[in-house]
Amino acid sequence: MKAIIHDLGTEQNMRLRAAADLVICADGRYAPCQGCFRCWTRHPAACVLKDELREVCRVLGMCEDMTVVTANLYGGYSPAVKNLLDRSIGLSTPLSTYRGGQMHHTLRYGRKGRFHVIAYGTFTEAEKQALRLMAESNAVNMGFREHSVAFCADAEEAGGQA
Amino acid sequence: MMSGTVLINCSPKRRLSASGFLARCAAGLIRGEKRVLQLRTPADHPAILEAIRTAEKVVFVTPLYVDSLPSHVLPFMQKMEACCRENRLRLKVYAIANNGFIEGRQNEPLMRVMENFCARSGLTWCGGLGIGGGVMLNVERIMLTVLLGLTALNVVLRAAQGESPWEPLRSFAVSAGELLLLACGIIALMLRLAYHVNRGTDAGKRYTRIMVPSFLFILFADIFFTVVSVLQGGIFRGWLSRLKPTGGCEPAVSGKQ
Ligand SMILES: Cc1cc2nc3c(=O)[nH]c(=O)nc-3n(C[C@H](O)[C@H](O)[C@H](O)COP(=O)(O)O)c2cc1C
Repeated sequence: MKAIIHDLGTEQNMRLRAAADLVICADGRYAPCQGCFRCWTRHPAACVLKDELREVCRVLGMCEDMTVVTANLYGGYSPAVKNLLDRSIGLSTPLSTYRGGQMHHTLRYGRKGRFHVIAYGTFTEAEKQALRLMAESNAVNMGFREHSVAFCADAEEAGGQA
Repeated sequence: MMSGTVLINCSPKRRLSASGFLARCAAGLIRGEKRVLQLRTPADHPAILEAIRTAEKVVFVTPLYVDSLPSHVLPFMQKMEACCRENRLRLKVYAIANNGFIEGRQNEPLMRVMENFCARSGLTWCGGLGIGGGVMLNVERIMLTVLLGLTALNVVLRAAQGESPWEPLRSFAVSAGELLLLACGIIALMLRLAYHVNRGTDAGKRYTRIMVPSFLFILFADIFFTVVSVLQGGIFRGWLSRLKPTGGCEPAVSGKQ
């Protein structure tokens, strides 16, 4: 299964549905993570915030590949997309191990395939480098075996690539 | 005349955050006018933006969330960028980041984002400090505070009974000494960062950690989360299982059927 997380809005959302098994539109309406770790310690893989993202990690856990389509913000992801990732740490467990030579959490849903980031907007060279490092770090953190990054001029082009 | 330092505590936690503790420590080391402000919700934005308009330096004190800043900080940074460009603010920006894992270096992507933010906003990036083992630092300092209280109580009770207060004081000193040893890298680099903030000079990027070998740290972290999960009951609710969506609260997701 492949999942797409994007901040492209509802119109593109309809079109993207044809391209993936799971499409999540990060529209910026959701409350941000409160940092309580209860999605590990009280009710595993479910957030204390009872909105539609409550079990988003369980849904993402079913997917092998993940594509993130995001506006570039300082060499990182847009607030809406980042919110979704912050709310998804139930993908891992509270226990720790080594992965990629560093400490990371063990994976609730096991190792995964490819983590692909499609960033759009204007970029400085430093921002492109930061995004490459971000994708690499995220991939190790979330247990993906491969990662890649593509840069697009605008949302339209990014949606076409997803 | 621009002067003073604004420290922004970016943790979403109301109380007892590692960032809040680090912000207060840094504020204690920084000379001149300084304020620690909390950034938790959009309602906090106006006051912080107001404060930075007359400041000379800003220190972001933040946790690391999924290799970057917590999502609620990003909209603030966008507003701050607009505010700084509009008013041609020339702030000096520093960052103190702490992360759960032991390697402070895992804060590198966050530091890059901060640097790019400064470039876009016309601000001067003056470097930062990434601290590994933030949760442990936080737990240790909270335990030490509790221990201080217990020690004080113990000393008073012993004094009332005419006994010597040395035994509890000695054991507290040992605990405090241990914590100082574990945190020696953090203390040294916090002093160094404060020195640069005070002079308004570039501190560069530095990374440090709680001084524990990583395999021991992992053991402590596992014990910590196991105990908390027993207390909160998560351990009995599919703690490590591949839990499936219950359907009761499906996210706003869609896909081909
Ligand atoms: C949603 C979320 C994501 C996190 N991601 C990371 C991470 O990628 N790497 C890491 O080392 N720690 C990570 N942490 C751990 C925090 O950085 C750590 O708990 C920190 O000490 C919190 O600081 P605070 O008390 O100031 O909020 C994450 C925590 C949360 C809640």
